[in-house]
Parts: sequence; structure tokens; C-alpha cells
Amino acid sequence: MIGTFAYLIGRSARNRLARQLRRLRQPRYSVALVLGILYIWFIIVYQRPGSLAPEIREAGWLAPAGAVVVAGLVAWAWIFAAERRVLAFTPAEVTFLFPAPISRRQLIHFKLLRRQLVILVNTLVWTLLLSPRRFDASAWLRAGGLWVLFTTLSLHRLAASYVRGSLSAHGVAAARRRKVSLVAVALALLGAIWVAAEASAILAAGWNGGIGPFLAAIGTALDLPATRLLLAPFLALMGPLTAGSAEGWLRAMGPALAILALHYVWVVRSDAAFEEAAAEASLRRAEALVDRSRKRRSPRAVSREPPPYRLAPDGSPAGAILWKNLVAVVRTGRPRSIGTTLVAGGIILAVLSFRSEGKVAEVVGWLAAMVGGFLFVIGPQWVRSDLRGDLSKLDLLRSYPIPARSLVTAEVASSTLVLSALQLGVLGFAYLAFLGNRAMEPSLVIRSAVLAAAFVFLPAVNLLGLLIHNGAAMLYPAWIAPGSDRPGGVEALGQNMLAMIAYLALLATTLLLPVAVGAAVFLGFGWGIGWWAAVPASAAALGVAAAEARVMIGWIGRVFERSDPASAGTGR
Amino acid sequence: MIEIEGLEKLYGDLPAVQGLSFAVRAGEVLGLVGPNGAGKTTTLRAIAGIIIPSRGRITVAGHDLASDPVAAKAALAFIPDEPHLFEYLTVEEHLRFVARLYGVGDVDAQIPGLLGELELAEKRAALPEELSRGMKQKLAIACGLIHRPRVLLLDEPLTGLDPVGIRRMKATIVSRAAEGVAVMLSSHLLHLVEEICTRVLVLRHGRVVAFGTVADIVGGRPELAGQSLEEIFLALVGE
Repeated sequence: MIGTFAYLIGRSARNRLARQLRRLRQPRYSVALVLGILYIWFIIVYQRPGSLAPEIREAGWLAPAGAVVVAGLVAWAWIFAAERRVLAFTPAEVTFLFPAPISRRQLIHFKLLRRQLVILVNTLVWTLLLSPRRFDASAWLRAGGLWVLFTTLSLHRLAASYVRGSLSAHGVAAARRRKVSLVAVALALLGAIWVAAEASAILAAGWNGGIGPFLAAIGTALDLPATRLLLAPFLALMGPLTAGSAEGWLRAMGPALAILALHYVWVVRSDAAFEEAAAEASLRRAEALVDRSRKRRSPRAVSREPPPYRLAPDGSPAGAILWKNLVAVVRTGRPRSIGTTLVAGGIILAVLSFRSEGKVAEVVGWLAAMVGGFLFVIGPQWVRSDLRGDLSKLDLLRSYPIPARSLVTAEVASSTLVLSALQLGVLGFAYLAFLGNRAMEPSLVIRSAVLAAAFVFLPAVNLLGLLIHNGAAMLYPAWIAPGSDRPGGVEALGQNMLAMIAYLALLATTLLLPVAVGAAVFLGFGWGIGWWAAVPASAAALGVAAAEARVMIGWIGRVFERSDPASAGTGR
Repeated sequence: MIEIEGLEKLYGDLPAVQGLSFAVRAGEVLGLVGPNGAGKTTTLRAIAGIIIPSRGRITVAGHDLASDPVAAKAALAFIPDEPHLFEYLTVEEHLRFVARLYGVGDVDAQIPGLLGELELAEKRAALPEELSRGMKQKLAIACGLIHRPRVLLLDEPLTGLDPVGIRRMKATIVSRAAEGVAVMLSSHLLHLVEEICTRVLVLRHGRVVAFGTVADIVGGRPELAGQSLEEIFLALVGE
């Protein structure tokens, strides 16, 4: 049966590659490919980082830090993993494989085999990105270590999804059959709480001493016996990557492969043992997944929340597009509860920041500021209530009597509004958490001026970022996942990272002129009003960014008018 | 109401339709028939402004689709065979959304009538995921009718409808045509075409094989006299 699966996967991959090569006849795809290859060649060959500084290597930080990251990915899989994406079979697979005389275990093997394609591509990407000298091991050894790490994480994500899916579908009955998995998760959770309790005092002491002692405290906390015990499996997985020699790599591969084998057994047994008996339920689940995929609906459930406002019958037609997208956000996200949490939490932290418990507010404030920074980078890719969300309905949009420029503006405006509100909400939350902290640098005045400037300029930055993403979706629809679907999991980390770097480079280019103008205004006003000059500087930068956005909207509109809906997988 | 001159659409080197010229008058129902891959859907999508023709000129309600697309699109409605709905808008919200797009002022007055006509009144607050395939098709039709289009383009309009729905759909098409709407529909159901279409356009490999009333078509091929449209169709497409 494996041979049959290999035939299906191999032929599909070959035909897909052939189709992608045919697409290169279109100049825009071939130009993008050449640029992409040049870009990768540049960062791999010319920008290859040198060896790590000896003090970092000798500090022994690499393995524990990597282990913490891997542990975070595992925790993410348990808390946030989307079963739909992990467990999904394609409509054709359900049609042909489910009624076929194939056991559940064989189906799992098919799925594992299929995932290997993406894992191998990502292993290649990461092997190229990581300098050979960084870990003192050859490219082949590094590739082996990466493959074991990615495959194990992929298996873990799959197993976690089986457990979560079974629990949500079958409740107590599933809990009895999954007791080994649940006990392991409970032990890991208890261990994490134990480590947190032990490490908190060390970290708090380090925090009070400044950044140097804090980093030293992190090192001490990572070296605690409890921490090392909790991180042991993750350290084992990082072992082949951080080994300094071929012998070290060989020694490290043993435990890493053992963990991989355990995961393989876990996945195969956990599904076959339970789902064989519940084949009907499994089939129904797969059919539901296929049905959702056919409808190209959001992976999140659609709630019955009322629209954010009533759509007036008269007014600009583009207003209807904006309204539609905001309704989608209200019904597929939780903007109201997020807003309430930010406001209520911000007020509580503001009060705390004036009292002796101010340290708590400060830590939470830094965390919020980090989330704000994360949203700045990842937000335009994450918030997709725009053309990317409507890519599967491109033909419908094209039939509407709206000028393309207006339609693009309305589509992108909704994502800009949502993302800006979220970012400013988080930044406001951080600002409130630091409100009573008199000793903090930068001072309250500077923080206030920067926040005010962010209110002015951040929406413009988001608009430019979202226009880049939407432009890419229109120009290269065949490379963009339709709707809110994105390639997910550790399997897609490499591709996502390359796309992110390319996006940041484009955003930086578009921001050059606005930032230069803003800086000139800031210096001009700075003599008179100090840091508050950031506000007029932001306004000036906003004006330049708006002009750039206008040009980009016109260009995307022209692409929209000329694009072929069939490229987005919607047409005939 | 619809004028097509020398329409041609190429996908790469492959011609989907070529040398298409015809007109559809107000109050007329034109049936577009042909085997799979004949170019029916491509023709309808080109008239709806979804795909850009490689050559030729399309005029809708006196507006050139290439130079004045917004005015041309405002006069027409395109109802595809597969209903594309927004999964997070209810039935009524779909109608309000489309009404705003097309500048329909009396949407509150129109909604009850349309929902009643298409048997969707009880599903007013339902999301698309709660609708059957047929109901989704009805909603797509309601969205197409709410702005009282002067040109109605229907791609396989009876797909997914139950017998009652089919009867109502046929009545809707005929009544809209009687009000002066130019209707163009594609269908493989030749009895439907024979029943409600005033003229027929037969396509094969993207070219016009026959165009006119059934009597006109038979007039040019005396050997087909007395045959049903199905037999005429099979003879024309060479099966």
C-alpha cells in the first residue's frame, strides 16, 4: 500500500511541479522566481553569518534556548493547534481513500508520507540558511538533525490534534482511551508549574539588578535540575543541531531518534486504537472538513454576533465592502472581548503601577509591548479581512459595479482598521501598565509623545504593509492560499520566514521616504517642543505614506481589473 | 440590450470562444447551448465583466463594457451555477449588502417580496452554512434580482433546485423577460431551453453553430423538421 501512496504523492508532486514550471511562462512569475533565487543566493552566500561569539558558545545557551523554543512550539500545538488544518484530507482523498479497503493505520501512513514533502523542503531551506560554521557540523549532519526535529514536531502536532479532536468529539470515552497521553500532558504541566515556581524568585532577583543580572538569572534558571528535567526531551532533539563534531552528532542522534520513534508509535497507535472503532465518526469528521474546504470557509466558527453597525442603503458602494469585511471580523474573531479585556486590564494595571505591586504591571507592560512589536511585524500577514480573504470570490467581486480602485481601497481599509485598532489597543495597554512608573526610562513624556505619534502614523504603516500583501496576492494568486487559510505548522516555517523577510524588505523600502520626511520634520520642530515633535513628524510621514498608498492602490486596481479569476482557483 | 461583436477569448493559445457576434433584445430570453467546453460559461463571464475578452466589443444597456464597466455592470446581474456566498453574512444581510453595491434605495420594501418569491422568508437570519444547496442557489438568485437588472445572465440556473424551485425559477425568468429584461441563460436542459427561450445560440468549440428561433434553425436544415430540440442539438454538434 505504501507503494500506492508513494505513486499518488510522487505523481501529484511531479504534476504540480510541471504546472508551476508552465506558470513560469508568464513573465511576472518568472521574474519573481529569478529575483527570489537571487535573493536566497545573496543571503546564503554573501550574508552567511560567521561563527558564534565564543562567549555565547561557551555559555552553553544554544541548546537550552533552542529547547525552550521547541517546548514553546509544542505548547502552542496543544493550546492553539487547528485540528482542521492538521487532520484535513482533501476532497479527492476522502472520495477515493475513505471508501477504499484501507485501514486507518494505512491512512495515517499516507498522511505522514505526504507531510514529508513539506518537511524535506523546509529542512533544505533551514540547512541553507544556517551557516555551516554556526554549529560546527557539516551541512548533511545539520540536515539530518533538522529533519529529525521537524518530523518529531510534525508528529507531535498530529498526535496532539488527535487527542484534542477525540476529546472534543467523544468526551469522557476518549479521555479513558487517551489516559496515557493525558497523564503525560498533566505531568508536563505540573513540571512547568514547578519550574515556574522555582525560577520566578531567581528571575525576579535578576530583574531587579538590571539587564546583565537578568540574563545571568535566565541562565541559572535554565540550569536548575527541574528545568533540565522538564526540557530533557527538547534538549535531546536539539542535541544533533548543537553538536560540535561528527562524533557528538552521532551520540546525540540516538536519543533524538528514540524520541522520534516514540512519537511515531504514539501517532500510529493513538489513532488506530480508537478511530478504528470510531471509523464512522472519523469519516464524518473528514467529510465535515471537506465540506468546509469546499465552502472555503474560515477555520474559525462563524458566530451570530450583530454587525458592528447598520449598513445604510445609500452611500458609496465601496462602503458595503468595508461593512462586509468588518462583519466577518466581528463574527470570526472576538474584537469586543479583546477590547474589553484590554481596557479593563489596562485600568487595573495603571492603578497597580502607582502602588508597591508596580513590578507586576511593569512585567505585563513589557510583555504587551513585545506583543505590540510582534503585531507590527506579523500583523499584516495575520489579519486578512481584505482581498486575500476574498480571493476565492474574485469573480463575484469583478461582477460588481465598483471601480477597481474603490474596491481595493475598501478591502484594504478593513484590515487596516482592525490591525491598527489591535496594535494601538495593545500599545495603550502597555502605556497604562507603565503609567505610574516614575523611574522608568524613557520618561512618561516621551512615552506619551511616542504613543500619540503611533496613533497618527501606525495606520499608515499598516496600510502600506497590507497593500504589499494584497498586491502580492493579486500579482501572484497562484502562490497565495485563498481565504483565511495559511500554510501552517513547523513544516511551513521556512517558506513563511522567507516570505516574511521579503515582505519586511519591501516595507522598509516603502517607508524610507515617509520616515525621512518625518525625521526632517522632527528635527525641525524638536528644538521647540521636544519629543512632542514626533506628532507633527508622524503627520508629515502620514502624508507621504498616503501618497505612496494612493499610487499602490491604483496599481493593484489595474492588476485586479486585468487578473484572471481562474488563477485564484475560482474560475473555469 | 446586449450587443456582442467579434468576441474572442484565448486561454494561452487555446481559443475558448472566437468570432462571436449576436444581440439580445429587451424582453428576449436567449438560450446558450452546447457540449461541455463549448464556451458557454466563458461567454457569460465575459459579458458579466469577470473575464476580459482577448478581442471584440461587448455593450450592455448601451454601455461599452471595456470603456464604461461600472455603468454596464450596474445594469446586469450574473448568477453563476455555483452560488458564491459570504459565509459570515446572513440571508437578509446578503440582500442589504448587494442593494448597497447597486444603489437600491427601497431595499426594506423589496426584501420581503424577494424572500417570499424565492421561499427564503423563514431563513432570513440564517448563515449560508445553515442553508441547503438549493437554498443557497435561491439566495444567489435573490441577490441577482434585488437591483432590478435590465440584463440577466444565468449559468445553469436550475442546478440544485427541487421541482417546485424549478417551476418557480422558470416563472421568474419568464416574468422578468415580460417586464422587459434581456435574459441570457446557459443550460444543458434542452427541454427548459425549448420551453422558455425565444431564441437559441448553439456553440461548439467556441464558435456559433446555429443562432435563431428553433423554426429559424430548422429552416436552414430541412432534414431536421419535426425533430425535438434535443435531436436538433445532437445533429448540430455532430454527435
